[in-house]
Amino acid sequence: MTILDWLLPAVLVVALTLLFIGAIRRVQLWRAGRPDSVNLVACLLAMPRRYLVDLHHVVERDKVMSDTHVATAGGFVLSMILILIVHLFGINSASLNGALLIATALMFTGSMSVYKRRLNPPARLSKGPWMRLPKSLLVFSGSFFLLTLLTSGFLPEGFGSWVLVAVLMAGVTLGVMELLFGMGWGGPMKHAFAGALHLAFHRRPERFGGGRSTGLKPVNLDGPLGVSEPADFKWNQLLGFDACVQCGRCEAACPAFAAGQPLNPKKLIQDMVVGLAGGSDSRYAGSPYPGKEIGKAQGGPHRPIVGSLVSADTLWSCTTCRACVEECPMMIEHVDAIVDMRRHLTLERGETPNKGAELLDNLIATDNPGGYNPGSRMNWAADLDLPLMAEKKEAEVLFWVSDGCFDMRSQRILRAFVSILKTAGVDFAVLGNEECDSGDVARRLGDDATFKSLARHNIATLARYRFRRIVTTDPHAFHVLKNEYGDFYPEGKEGDYEVLHHSTFINELVEHGKLKLDAFRGGAVTYHDPCYLGRYNGEYDSPRSLLAALGIQVREMERSGYRSRCCGGGGGAPITDIPGKHRIADMRMDDAREVQARTIAVACQQCTAMLEGVVEPRPEIRDLAELVADALIVESTGARAEYVTEEVY
Amino acid sequence: MSQFEALFRPLKINQLTIRNRVVSTAHAEVYATDNGMTTERYVKYYEEKAKGGCGLSICGGSSVVSIDSPQSWWSSVNLSTDRIIPHFQNLADAVHKHGGKIMIQISHMGRRSRWDGEHWPNLMSPSGIREPVHRATCKTIEVEEIERVIADFAQAARRAKEGGLDGVELSAVHQHLIDQFWSPRVNKRTDQWGGAFENRMRFGMEVLKAVRDEVGRDFAVGIRICGDEFHPDGLNQDDMKQIAKYYNDTGLLDFFGVVGSGCDTHNTLANVIPNMSYPPEPFLHLAAGIKEVVDVPVIHAQNIKDPNQAERILEAGYVDFVGMTRAHIADPHIIAKIKMNQVDQIRQCVGANYCIDRQYQGLDVLCIQNAATSREHMGLPHLIEKTTGAIRKVLVIGGGPGGMEAARVAAERGHAVTLIEKTSELGGQITLAARAPQRDQIAGITRWYALELARLGVELCLDTIADAAMVRDLRPDVCILATGGIPFLEQNPEWGFDNGLVVSSWDILSGRVDPGENVLVYDTICEFSGMSVADYLAAKGSQVELVTDDIKPGVGIGGTTFPTYYRSLYEREVIMSSDLVLDKVYAEGNKKVAVLENEYTGQQEERVVDQIVIENGTRPDEALYYELKEGSVNRGQIDVDALFACQAQPALHDSGSGMILWRLGDCVSQRNTHAAIYDALRLCKDL
Repeated sequence: MTILDWLLPAVLVVALTLLFIGAIRRVQLWRAGRPDSVNLVACLLAMPRRYLVDLHHVVERDKVMSDTHVATAGGFVLSMILILIVHLFGINSASLNGALLIATALMFTGSMSVYKRRLNPPARLSKGPWMRLPKSLLVFSGSFFLLTLLTSGFLPEGFGSWVLVAVLMAGVTLGVMELLFGMGWGGPMKHAFAGALHLAFHRRPERFGGGRSTGLKPVNLDGPLGVSEPADFKWNQLLGFDACVQCGRCEAACPAFAAGQPLNPKKLIQDMVVGLAGGSDSRYAGSPYPGKEIGKAQGGPHRPIVGSLVSADTLWSCTTCRACVEECPMMIEHVDAIVDMRRHLTLERGETPNKGAELLDNLIATDNPGGYNPGSRMNWAADLDLPLMAEKKEAEVLFWVSDGCFDMRSQRILRAFVSILKTAGVDFAVLGNEECDSGDVARRLGDDATFKSLARHNIATLARYRFRRIVTTDPHAFHVLKNEYGDFYPEGKEGDYEVLHHSTFINELVEHGKLKLDAFRGGAVTYHDPCYLGRYNGEYDSPRSLLAALGIQVREMERSGYRSRCCGGGGGAPITDIPGKHRIADMRMDDAREVQARTIAVACQQCTAMLEGVVEPRPEIRDLAELVADALIVESTGARAEYVTEEVY
Repeated sequence: MSQFEALFRPLKINQLTIRNRVVSTAHAEVYATDNGMTTERYVKYYEEKAKGGCGLSICGGSSVVSIDSPQSWWSSVNLSTDRIIPHFQNLADAVHKHGGKIMIQISHMGRRSRWDGEHWPNLMSPSGIREPVHRATCKTIEVEEIERVIADFAQAARRAKEGGLDGVELSAVHQHLIDQFWSPRVNKRTDQWGGAFENRMRFGMEVLKAVRDEVGRDFAVGIRICGDEFHPDGLNQDDMKQIAKYYNDTGLLDFFGVVGSGCDTHNTLANVIPNMSYPPEPFLHLAAGIKEVVDVPVIHAQNIKDPNQAERILEAGYVDFVGMTRAHIADPHIIAKIKMNQVDQIRQCVGANYCIDRQYQGLDVLCIQNAATSREHMGLPHLIEKTTGAIRKVLVIGGGPGGMEAARVAAERGHAVTLIEKTSELGGQITLAARAPQRDQIAGITRWYALELARLGVELCLDTIADAAMVRDLRPDVCILATGGIPFLEQNPEWGFDNGLVVSSWDILSGRVDPGENVLVYDTICEFSGMSVADYLAAKGSQVELVTDDIKPGVGIGGTTFPTYYRSLYEREVIMSSDLVLDKVYAEGNKKVAVLENEYTGQQEERVVDQIVIENGTRPDEALYYELKEGSVNRGQIDVDALFACQAQPALHDSGSGMILWRLGDCVSQRNTHAAIYDALRLCKDL
């Protein structure tokens, strides 16, 4: 067995050396990105917990795969440590050998499960080298198990021939090549190395430990605007792309992909990998962007992305619904990347497609996307006698009306909400014509300059008045006010208020007994979670408890809660309007039809517009505010009831 | 969504913010029946408009300020007493509750009234000249009376203000006292109240100043004027612009309402409320001319019925507010439906002028097609709620107005409705009526029903003749017969219908029978059908004599519609003969000879013509009814107590199985479109 005494360590040393060289090269590739300062030590220390807890939460949504991964990866890490101790440093003991046998056996068991899944893999999984991986895992774990049996002395002396040793050595070599060499040199196992570092240096550390971080990061308007080439991403974004395991959960969740629009979040991340490493997408073995051929994309760290690596249509197909981000077991930030690239197209090239440019011009000229007279913001409420902040100066609640004020459908939601506020006797006021568009669409379309100026303007307006809470019926405005305005407050003058979506606020009113509600009588109801309320802000419960307060048992659609399917209305998608095979809203309507809903309760005027755009016959679309307003029991005596305007509908 | 941006742009009138640009302008409702005091019916009528989103309602057309301006003829509102104030408070609250605003028109009608009733006053006018439309003779008003009336105006305005109304509109239109002073056609005075421009303006100016002094600067005060009297000796557009500017420049007025045309003759009266023979907004240019010279908002109403039309007018800036008064009578929820993106569901006014023609007869204003309007107080709904009871299988036979309304209401209630119609299209007699010249717009009634029935999923079986066996096979829970009538040409056997000597007006209008060269139309009904068929024949080139045994052809048609028929018939040289009974018809070669007998002398005369068309109304088509009657659980009977009280038919409460049978419309007895629709609504709303 003397041959093993030197050959095995040699193979390991060579593999580890290659891994090291590969890793250095890989790190160099990431370092081509723009700087983002991180605390190296603290980040690395935080990594294990992020991996074992936070990431595990996501992976665990698929229990079988989670167990498989725990066995395989856990077995591998354990095996590798023990292999180095036993086979490289030659520290031999029965217990170490026993432990190594158990670890490799565990890994082997896990690998069998991986292997089985790969026999008939779902469409979302990439093929190519990933089809080889389970075999490599089996060879690695099997070979080391048997080799350890041979070297450990657990078998009789002289067991096995040189042929067996040779075969095992071949297996070991193959195994370490995939698992160590491949890890550093871009094989499937790259995900373990890049993934671990990605978790350590994640750009949104707030996401770990149960937190949430969904607000976009501001652009430095003095530097290059957005991302034109891979090297324009922050280095840790590039690192994040490399963590992708091509599991395709994002692809399965993406509404644009399902609608046949030219976007596949997995392919996009892989294209970014092609970009950072250089080369073409010809080796990509997953689903393409619908309608686009694989093999035509070329990229390099300093080559422009749009045009040669990714088409602009792909970037504009995204609804920014974050379904991909929510699903990603590696916690990759697809939406950030897409918006970064959109910023370049909009700010540097002025290439916002279709109605995008007109909308941005409108925002600049009129402070609202429709180009309406900014003095007409209160037209919808001409008969409601709403208290104005400019007159009142101070109120418990600032009702942020949003640009729904210009839209007749949304006005019904706003009016319903006003009747709720009045019935509950809430001390509120509106900004009236002082309000500007929140900037949401500008920002999603990549125009961070316009967003910033709108945000600053609104912040200055808000600073003039005293109020404790902002409440809005628009989840998009809610999101930017709550999560994105913070970056634009003058130093030391951060807003001292809470931002609430109306579903949360109304639910609170009901829970505090401020509203009396009749039961809803309109048949089966399902609830559509708006992306910017649900995934962006984690509010899944208030809408449901409100519906329960109306006596409604929600018929949940298969895709609901954090897995809710987008209506197609986010991210400026209705404006950029990239064609596909279906309309996202139609698909969402089919989800509702599947549960035989007569009414779809929504909590967003954009969702209302998208879903009502589906041809009839279809379920009715009602905002929560409308459902509640219809069910209000208004005391017929007392002054309060008098000024609640009864609407015909 | 910016489609109706101009329509929904609020605008201030004095201190009032009007939430949109749509106004229900002043008209006599004929509902204020309780000695000139507004009733619950009146309040509910205006509340419904406010609920439906109307920006501003100006109620009480020709509401009187003085006790010697009679109100009882049109049951207008009486502002000559403080008793009106609490009534106004109810009215104002009901409208304000829904975000609407409400003003009232106040007036002294001068000579434009009748003296032979109520307090039997001497009517007053600047120069005592008789008014022809009301056959009203009058005295020359004395200065003391002028001063009293001026004071009455101020007091009336105070009452409106104290009652919580949002403003008053002074009526200087339709030849009321103020514009009687203005018009040299009527004002022949030589004192300081007549003659020179300032003198003719004086009465109105003193009224305005007195009103303004009484109510203060912040209360809305406007004036309604005409844009051109259309009389050679009257005020033309230039005169009216001069007048408008003169009053505007005082700064005392907050708005102008402008109506094209004077109305102290039958012919000009028809212009004021243009019926379906007029083009859209025929007099907008007159209002736009006034807008050129004034600084305050201008309201204009005349044939503005469609939201797109309204938006176009407003967007172009011709006027500031559009009056959509008949549009609101046909559908008080017009604004709400625009906002709901349900423009297709608006029941659009067709200009049948059933409303206004009833008003001129002193009858309550009703809509030909919407039986719920002005019956809100009786619980007749504009929005029909779904039933919470059993879903019934409802079979409606006959696709005329009654059948269509029954099917619509039953379907709105949520029932499974089938409508069987023997012809290839919906509409019944409306389809025939729409074939006459200038009457095509009446088909709008059918068009709306067709859209609604499709929206509500009513199963339509056209080209299908229903018989008793078919009804029994379908096993409906409720069967509603609306099979209409059949022209009644057998009444006098001497007419020779059986021998083919005469044809019906339906034969001609439907095109089944070609027009003859020389045609005698014999019309015993004297409403639309006879005039329409005569007009149709003349338009096709026939030489027509329209004969009636009544006192005048078209005598049953209201004051805003017979003039437009007359314009056409005279133009086409139709001869109109009255007081002649068609005694007998006989053939002579290819010709037909009509023997006519003078009702008062018995003297006979003959006409030799190619074709004789008879309009003698209809007899009910009731054969199917009598076949089904015995087999129905209610033996075809409608409980009239429940019907008249607008309550559910008792037959609906009986749990027994079997078919309920009702019949309505002309298959019971000949009445009119409104009657059929009204019965269908009150029968089916509780189905």
